[in-house]
Amino acid sequence: MKDRFISGYNDFVLPFVIGMIFIITYLVIGIIRVIVQLPAADRKKFFLSLINPRLWIINLKDIICDVLLHTKIWKRKPLLGYMHSSIAFGWFMLIVLGHIETWLFVPDRLSTFYYPVFFRFFVMETDHTLKGSFFFFLMDFFLLVVLSGVFLAMFKRIRSMMFGMRRTTRNQIPDRLAMYCLWAIFPVRLLAESFTAGIAGGSFLTRPMYWLFSNFLTNTYHILPTWWAYSTLLGTFFVLLPFTRYMHIPTEAFLIVLRNAGIKVSHPRKGYSIAQIYSCSNCGMCIDACPMMGQKKNLRFATVYFNRLLRRRNWARCEESADKCLMCGKCVAVCPVGVDSCNIKQSLRGLRAVPAPADYSYFTSYSLPEGVENSKEKVLYYAGCMTQLTPVISKAVAAVLDHAGVDWSFMDRDGGICCGRPLILAGRDERAQEMIRRNTELIRQSGATTLLLSCPICYKVFRENYDLKGIRIVHYTEYFDELVRLGRITLRNSGEKIVYHDPCELGRGCKVYRQPRRVLSAAGELVEAEKHHDESICCGGSLGSLTLSYEDRKDITLKALDNLMYASPERIVTACPLCLKTFSPYSPNKVSDFAEVVAQNMN
Amino acid sequence: MEISNQQRNIVVIGGGPAGIEASRALDAMGYTVFLVERDGRLGGHLCRWDRLFPYGTPAEDVLSQLTASMGRIKWFTATEVTQVNKLERGYNVILSNGLSVLADALLLTTGFTLFNASKKEEYGYGIYDRVITNADLEDWFSGIPVPAVDNPRRIGFVHCVGSRDEKVGNRYCSKVCCATAVKQACEIKEKFPDAVVYCFYMDLRMFGRGYEDMYLEAQKKYGVIFVRGRVSEVSEDKDGHLFVKAEDTLSGKPLRVTLDLLVLMAGMSHNRAVDPIARTLALSTMEDGFLKPKDSLTAAQASYCTGVFYAGACTGPKTLPETMAEARAAATSIHEYLQEQ
Amino acid sequence: MIDFGYGISPSSAINLDKFDRTKFEELAREEPDVLKCMACGSCAASCPTAGHSDMNLRRVILLLGRGREDEALRMVSHCMLCGKCLIVCPRGINTRHLILSVTKIYQKK
Repeated sequence: MKDRFISGYNDFVLPFVIGMIFIITYLVIGIIRVIVQLPAADRKKFFLSLINPRLWIINLKDIICDVLLHTKIWKRKPLLGYMHSSIAFGWFMLIVLGHIETWLFVPDRLSTFYYPVFFRFFVMETDHTLKGSFFFFLMDFFLLVVLSGVFLAMFKRIRSMMFGMRRTTRNQIPDRLAMYCLWAIFPVRLLAESFTAGIAGGSFLTRPMYWLFSNFLTNTYHILPTWWAYSTLLGTFFVLLPFTRYMHIPTEAFLIVLRNAGIKVSHPRKGYSIAQIYSCSNCGMCIDACPMMGQKKNLRFATVYFNRLLRRRNWARCEESADKCLMCGKCVAVCPVGVDSCNIKQSLRGLRAVPAPADYSYFTSYSLPEGVENSKEKVLYYAGCMTQLTPVISKAVAAVLDHAGVDWSFMDRDGGICCGRPLILAGRDERAQEMIRRNTELIRQSGATTLLLSCPICYKVFRENYDLKGIRIVHYTEYFDELVRLGRITLRNSGEKIVYHDPCELGRGCKVYRQPRRVLSAAGELVEAEKHHDESICCGGSLGSLTLSYEDRKDITLKALDNLMYASPERIVTACPLCLKTFSPYSPNKVSDFAEVVAQNMN
Repeated sequence: MEISNQQRNIVVIGGGPAGIEASRALDAMGYTVFLVERDGRLGGHLCRWDRLFPYGTPAEDVLSQLTASMGRIKWFTATEVTQVNKLERGYNVILSNGLSVLADALLLTTGFTLFNASKKEEYGYGIYDRVITNADLEDWFSGIPVPAVDNPRRIGFVHCVGSRDEKVGNRYCSKVCCATAVKQACEIKEKFPDAVVYCFYMDLRMFGRGYEDMYLEAQKKYGVIFVRGRVSEVSEDKDGHLFVKAEDTLSGKPLRVTLDLLVLMAGMSHNRAVDPIARTLALSTMEDGFLKPKDSLTAAQASYCTGVFYAGACTGPKTLPETMAEARAAATSIHEYLQEQ
Repeated sequence: MIDFGYGISPSSAINLDKFDRTKFEELAREEPDVLKCMACGSCAASCPTAGHSDMNLRRVILLLGRGREDEALRMVSHCMLCGKCLIVCPRGINTRHLILSVTKIYQKK
C-alpha cells in the first residue's frame, strides 16, 4: 500500500471536513455549557470522577455496552438490538480499522484527520499487500454488518411490529433528512470503495462489485463523483446532527460519564438534563411501555415527545406532558439510554409551580398516640394516609406482627402527617421538607429502632429523603420475608393460584421484587403476569399524575388488570394500598393485599 | 288462520315481583306463560326483606298475595336459562331442567343484585365484625341471628353505599336506600329504644307518597339524628368499637363518632346473571351494566331486540310499586306486539 | 338617611351580584372537575389535616363559587397534597390538580 497522490488531498473531502469541524465545535461548546450549568457540588463530583480510575473502568464498560453494543436493547428485543449494534459497532470498527490501516501503511498521513476515512481513495495496492488483504476482509465484513443494520432500519420504518414495537416515533423533517443521509452513507461508501477496488484493493464484497461494474462501465469518470457523494453525505449528516435524534450518538458517552459521577437532575433544562434529553435516541421504546398509550389521544404525552419538546423549549406543552405523566417509571426502565425522564418531569413541575405560601404551623398539634412515647417498643408502624382507606392492610399487618411476637406500636392509628412524597412528586420539594422535619421529630421521639411501612409511596420517600440514621426503614414485604426466614412465622401453602402485582414505587422505585415473591410462593402457587418486575404496568391510581382524569385512569386500570390475568390466577395480590383501592372495583377476581395473604396463611 | 293466545308461548326470566306480576297479567290475557326462577323460591329480593317502606307492610304478605293465584302459569324454581337462540320468529329457550320452549316473546325481569359492600374497603365490611349491610339487618329483623347486632347503644346508617359513586362504577342513585335507611332506623330504634341512631346521608331522597311522613316520624317519634355528610372511613379500636369519620357539612366541621353497629345501605347493582343472555341476543346495556330500554319515556318496556321485553329493576333501580307497574305495562306491550304479528 | 346599624354587614353576606366570576371560570377551564362537586364532604372527612387545620376542600370549592377567595386560599395553604380526597371522592374529582390550579389561578395578581 502506498500513497496515490503526493498532496494526499482532493477537493471532495471538503464537505466532510466542514461537517466534522462544525460538529466538533458544537459538541465542545455544548459540553462546556453543561459543565458550567451544573450546580457547584455536582461540578465537583464530575471533576473528581475524572481522576477516579475505578470510574474510568466503569465508564469504559458502560460506553462499550450501551453505546456500541446496545446490550440493553438486545436483552429486550434481540432483532432491534442487532439493528442498533450492527450500525453503531460496525461503524465504529470501520473508523478504527481505517486508522489502523493508515497507521500501518502510510503512518505519516495519520495526522490528516480525513485521510483514514477516505483511505481507499488515497492509496493504491502494491505487490506486498498480503498483510493488507486481512484488513480488506475486515473492512468489507464490517461494511456488510453496517449495511445489514441499515437494511433492517429501513425495514423497521415500514414494519415496526417485526421488531416487537407496536408504535414507533413520528419523525420530523431534520430527523428524516438525517435518516436518509444515514441510510445512504453506507451503500454509497460501498459503491465508492467498489469503484476503487481495482486500484486500492478489496475483498469479498468490493472486488466482485468492481468486476461487475468494470464490465459495463468502461471509463473511470464515475469514481470521483461517488467519493464526492460519500463525503457530502457525511458532511450533511454531521451538520444536521445537533438538530436531530442522532445527536445521541456523541452525547450518550458524555451522559454515561456524568451519571456514573453520581449527578442527579436539578433543573429540567440545564446541565445534566441537557445531556439527558440530547441522549434520547427517539427510539420510541417508551411509547409502547407507557400505560397511558392505551388511548390514542395520549400518544403525544409519550416521553420521547416530551424530550423533544424540551429540546425545543416548548414550555407550555412540556408542562402539559409532565403534569399528565403517572411517574410510574416504566419509560425509564425500558429506555436503552437510561434517560431519567421522571426526575426531569418532576423538576419541571417544580420550576413551573406558582409560588404559593404554605402554612403548616398546625403540624405541632400532631403527636404520637398514648403509650408510644418512651416505651421499650422497637418497631414503629407508620401506615400512611392511603392505608387509612384500606383497613384490611393495617389489620392484617397488626395480626402478623402480633402473631410473630414483634414488639411494635402504631404511629398513626388516628391519622398523621403525610410522608411528603405526594408533594415531591408534584415538584414541591421545599414544602415537603416541613412534613419530613415534623415526622422525623415524632419518629425520633418514639425511640423506635425500626420504621415499618406498608405504603410504597411512603417507603420511597423515607428511604430517599429522610435522615433517620440509626433507624432501619423497612417495607412490610421485606420485613415479613425476614420473619418467615427467621421462622418467627410459618406459612401453609393454600395452593391458590396467585399473581403478584409490582407496585411502581416499590418495584421500579425501590427495586424490591424478590422478597414479596418469596413469601407469596410459600403461601400459594405464584404465577407471573404477562409483564412483571420492572416492566409491570401501573394500576392507574398513581399520585404521580396531576391532570389525568378519573375516566382515563380507569382505562389504565383495566389494561393493568388484563396483564395480571394473563396466567388466569384466582387472586391478585399487591403490596400497595393505592393499587388495592384502584384495582378492586374493576377486578374480575379477588384483589388482596400482601399482608392479608400472609395473615390468612399463618400457621 | 287466527292463532289463539293460548298457542302463544311467553317466557318470563326472573321470578321476583316483576316476573310474578307480569306472568299473572299475561296469563289473564290467555297466553301460555313459562316463569323461570333461579332460586329455590319465587319472590326475588322480597324473600330476604322483613318489612317494606313506607307503611311497614310485611314482605311475606305482599309475596303471598302475589303468588296466591298463579293460574295456568308454568313456573319453575331452581331453574336457570341455559341457552337462548333467536329463531326466524321468536326464540328457543332451553332451561336447566331439560325443557325447551319455543317462545313468541321473552320478558326479562332479572332485577338487580345487592351491591357488594366489601368493595368499599374504607367502610370495612367483612373486615370489622360490627359493620353489616341493610340486607343483614333485614335478616336480623326476620329472626335470623346476626352476631354483630348485640344490644348496640350507638348505631349508624350509611346511605349511598355503592350508589352515586363513580369509584365503583355506579353513578346512579339506587332510589330505595334513603327510605330503607329511615325505615330501618325506626325499626331498630323500636327494638333498642335507648340506642342513639345516626343516619349519614348526602341528600335525603324522600320522593314517594308517605316517605316524607316516615322521615318526620323518624325525627319526631324516634329521635333519629340525621347528619348531612358521607362517611369517608371507618376504623376500629381495640374493643371492636367503630370509629367513624365524616364531615358534618351543615356545620362545615369534621365529625368523629364512636359506634357499636354500622349499617351500610348497599344499593342496587346490575344483575350479572343476565349478561350472557344480553350478549347472545345483542341487547344494549348502559355504562353501569343495566339493560337499556328502547326509549326510556315512550317504550320503557321494549328492548332493541324484537320480541324481547323488560320490566322492573333490570333496566335500573326501581321501587316496588314502580316495578309492579312496569310488570303490568310489559304485559300490555307484549300483548300489543303479539297481536300485530 | 339614618343608619340604624341593621344592614347586612358585607363580610357576612354573600352578594352574588358583586361576584366577579372571571377567575372562577378560568379555574373551571383549567380543571373542569370543580363543577362536579356534590358537597358530600368525603374529602373534608378523610383529610389528614381535619381537626388540626381548617382545610376543607368542599368548602374551598363552595367559597370560590361564592366569591370568598381569601378564605379559600387560606385553607388551601394548609394542604399536604396527599391525595386521600382524590381516592374518596365519589364524583371522581381530580382534587390534587384542582388544589394546584386554585393556587395557580388565584395566587397570581
